[in-house]
Amino acid sequence: MDDLAPPSKYVTLVSGDGFEFVVLREAAMVSPIIKGMLDPRSQFVEAQHARCVFQEMSGTVLDKVVEYFHYWYRYKDSEDVPDMDIPVELCLELLAAADYLGLDQ
Amino acid sequence: MISGRGGAGARGRIRPPRRIVRSQAAGEGADFDACWNMIKEALYDIHNKSCGRLSFEELYRAAYKIVLKKKGEVLYERVKEFEEQWFAEHAIPKIEVLVTKSLINMSVDASSSASVSERRQTGENFLKGLRDTWEDHNMSMNMTADILMYLDRGYTQQEPRRVPIFATTIALFRDHILRSCLNANSDRSIGDILISVMLDQIDMERRGDVIDRNLIRSNTRMLSCLYETEDESENNKLYVTTFEPRFLANSEVFYARECERLLRESDASTWLRHTETRLREETDRCGTTIELETLPKVTKVVEEKLILGHLNDFLAMEGSGLRWMIDNDKIHDLSILYRLIARVDDEKTALRDILQKRVVELGLEIENVLKNTDFSTVQGDGEDGGEGEKGKTLNPAAQQTAAAIKWVDDVLRLKDKFDYMLQECFQGDLVLQAALTKSFAEFINLFNRSSEYVSLFIDDNLKRGIRGKTEAEVDAIVEKSIVLIRYLQDKDLFQTYYQRHLGRRLLHGKSESHDVEKQIISRMKQELGQQFTTKFEGMFRDLVTSAELTSTYRDHVRKLDPEDHTIDLNVNVLTTNYWPSEVMGRSAQSGDSSKAGCTWPAEVKKLQASFEQFYLTNRNGRKLTWIGTTGSADIKCVFPAIEGKSGPLARERRYDLNVPTYGMVVLSLFNDLKDGESLSFEDIQAKTSLSTADLTRALMAIAVAPKSRVLAKDPPTKNVKPGDRFSFNASFQSKTIRIKAPIINAVSKAENKEERKATEDKNNQTRSYIIDAAIVRIMKARKEVSHSQLISEVLSVLAGRFKPDVPMIKRRIEDLIVREYLERPDEEGAPSMYRYLA
Repeated sequence: MDDLAPPSKYVTLVSGDGFEFVVLREAAMVSPIIKGMLDPRSQFVEAQHARCVFQEMSGTVLDKVVEYFHYWYRYKDSEDVPDMDIPVELCLELLAAADYLGLDQ
Repeated sequence: MISGRGGAGARGRIRPPRRIVRSQAAGEGADFDACWNMIKEALYDIHNKSCGRLSFEELYRAAYKIVLKKKGEVLYERVKEFEEQWFAEHAIPKIEVLVTKSLINMSVDASSSASVSERRQTGENFLKGLRDTWEDHNMSMNMTADILMYLDRGYTQQEPRRVPIFATTIALFRDHILRSCLNANSDRSIGDILISVMLDQIDMERRGDVIDRNLIRSNTRMLSCLYETEDESENNKLYVTTFEPRFLANSEVFYARECERLLRESDASTWLRHTETRLREETDRCGTTIELETLPKVTKVVEEKLILGHLNDFLAMEGSGLRWMIDNDKIHDLSILYRLIARVDDEKTALRDILQKRVVELGLEIENVLKNTDFSTVQGDGEDGGEGEKGKTLNPAAQQTAAAIKWVDDVLRLKDKFDYMLQECFQGDLVLQAALTKSFAEFINLFNRSSEYVSLFIDDNLKRGIRGKTEAEVDAIVEKSIVLIRYLQDKDLFQTYYQRHLGRRLLHGKSESHDVEKQIISRMKQELGQQFTTKFEGMFRDLVTSAELTSTYRDHVRKLDPEDHTIDLNVNVLTTNYWPSEVMGRSAQSGDSSKAGCTWPAEVKKLQASFEQFYLTNRNGRKLTWIGTTGSADIKCVFPAIEGKSGPLARERRYDLNVPTYGMVVLSLFNDLKDGESLSFEDIQAKTSLSTADLTRALMAIAVAPKSRVLAKDPPTKNVKPGDRFSFNASFQSKTIRIKAPIINAVSKAENKEERKATEDKNNQTRSYIIDAAIVRIMKARKEVSHSQLISEVLSVLAGRFKPDVPMIKRRIEDLIVREYLERPDEEGAPSMYRYLA
């Protein structure tokens, strides 16, 4: 509830099967959904603890999502970006996750 | 706002595959209800600010599922319904309480009976209530929209008629509060009242009260967040459509009234400061109280009402208007004035016109003061002096010179004043600079002696003024002189005067520094062109060659006869065209043929012959004329011891005497005279054949000037007249060995009326030749030209040198026709044509 405390630098993302990923807050903010969750003014549970639980996302998928966050964060201002490796078997699930997280904008 | 809405449209998205969701057994309907109930509970919590136990992810997932099940429309409607209901039950009543009767009355008539503090209190309460409700609503709607983000992504964006859920719910505030009246006794909407209250508060601040700026800011922010319609374009902001126009209209009335009041009750200085303060206030207000985007508009209102409204009335105010500011060097006032006028008028017409007028007025005033001063000084001299005739004849000339210098000094001071003003107050504005230059040129040229006075000023400075000054100071004087010359219109007249003064300076060795002389001339060359300075440069060249000539001649003489060094000759050979005609003895009007010069003493004649011979060996076909008026001679004089006297008079005294050349000629006459004999003025004139004027000057130097009175005069007055008798002053004594007799005509004095007329006549004569040449040149090129075209071309060709008057050009044309350079073709229909005759 305290508006004055600066938001933590890292946030924790938790998969449905219990894997926890500690992610740079700025990187995770690429998803408008996560941004909304963690907005310090909207006192939801996630914002209070800097911890988002994704009940319906498996650790494998979230792992790839987190990888993407950092991939995006690292290359956001550069050119000649190398391709990110996506395992074929995860494609469908990753698409769904991307849609869920609003990563198409 | 918490996050951006809308965003990328529904471009070809890949639909996610229908997921196998849990609790399939419950069926789709049950699943929807479960999800909706969860969301509904959450909405209550959000409104009650108790969402700390809610998980965003769960709520988002619930909305996500609903949308995936194609129930987006139902969700949208349900949320809308919920919010409308909540709004009606919780938000509207809070506002209703605030809309009291007094508030409505107050907003209808700001000057109602209620006291200011009462009004402010009521207004603030109302604004506070509105702000709190708005902030709650805004916060809740943002959070709602956040958790329903997938609704917009998955449903709203696919429906062209739907606007994002946030736009729909936030607009409730506009529809149900701002656009309704909420009070049975009034038909004024809340929005209307809100604006009235805000304007009332702003007016209170303008009158000097303290108001809660943040409160008003919150309300303008609200109006900025709401739009007239759901499509939310920038121009449709309620702030722009409702508040701003009324604010501007209100400001207009306020400032128009204020301007009237200032005009009635205050002076221009107060007005300036007040206006500037007001502008600052409005800028401040746009930054803190209302929205920044209004700044250019409200500034314009202030400019139009407060500055332009009665600009001319304020500028014309007696005792505080622009004229007064200029006269009293009100730098600060003028700076403000410039800043204000520069805002509203690029040309600064009002300021410029008065400024120009004042410059000319002050310029003419200098002239008037000069006339009066002159007069009184001369009178004053007459009173306390009364030293006989000499005082009266010499003083006016000296006074004239002093007047010339005073005039130039005053003009320069005026120029400094306005230059300073231009830099300090007008930020070196180019328009004003040009205007000032024009005005200076105008009044300087209105004064018919300006050319002469400027030249006299330079003359005075070069003779005395620059002594002991640093290079920078001298540079400043040179620069000032050039500035003045630039203003002069009749540059040819100035040229004549300058030539004359320069000639005197050079020949009499009066010039303080040849370097500075050359500096001025090279600056003139830059400004006015080669042609203007050829003569001046020629004069310098003459002096240099003459110095060489003198030394080679000296060598030559020594070679011829090493024993003979009776007279040491120093010659200046002057080229006729470069030097002023007065110096060259060409002043034709002097009746007693000064050209004949004088009868030189035998020794001098011998010398002249020797030099002429030397000079002409190398230069064939030249003619040398000896001019005695400007030279001087060093002579050794021996005064005998006088018996019966004590002190220096008892001894023989030898002096080195420096006298004008003619003085030497006169003195040499007395060599042959026996003691006690005397010569009359006429005797001397007959023997020397000097003109009366030249002789008078020579005798003044050696018989009147107190320190070099080697001739005694009878009667011993201060003036030399025909009929006076002169004798050798045997009892002459002096403390110094070297004595310099004053050169009577060496002072460059202002001309008297006749002299000036002569100069002008001569100048007109020269001008007519120049005009002739210009006309012929033009006609030669054009063959046939109409009268008006010819005149205008002549004017433009000659603009750099002087401004000829049109009648004069006409006379020259007539003259050229008579002399058959031009003719008027007889063809009909072309009465004003001229044709060139080859």
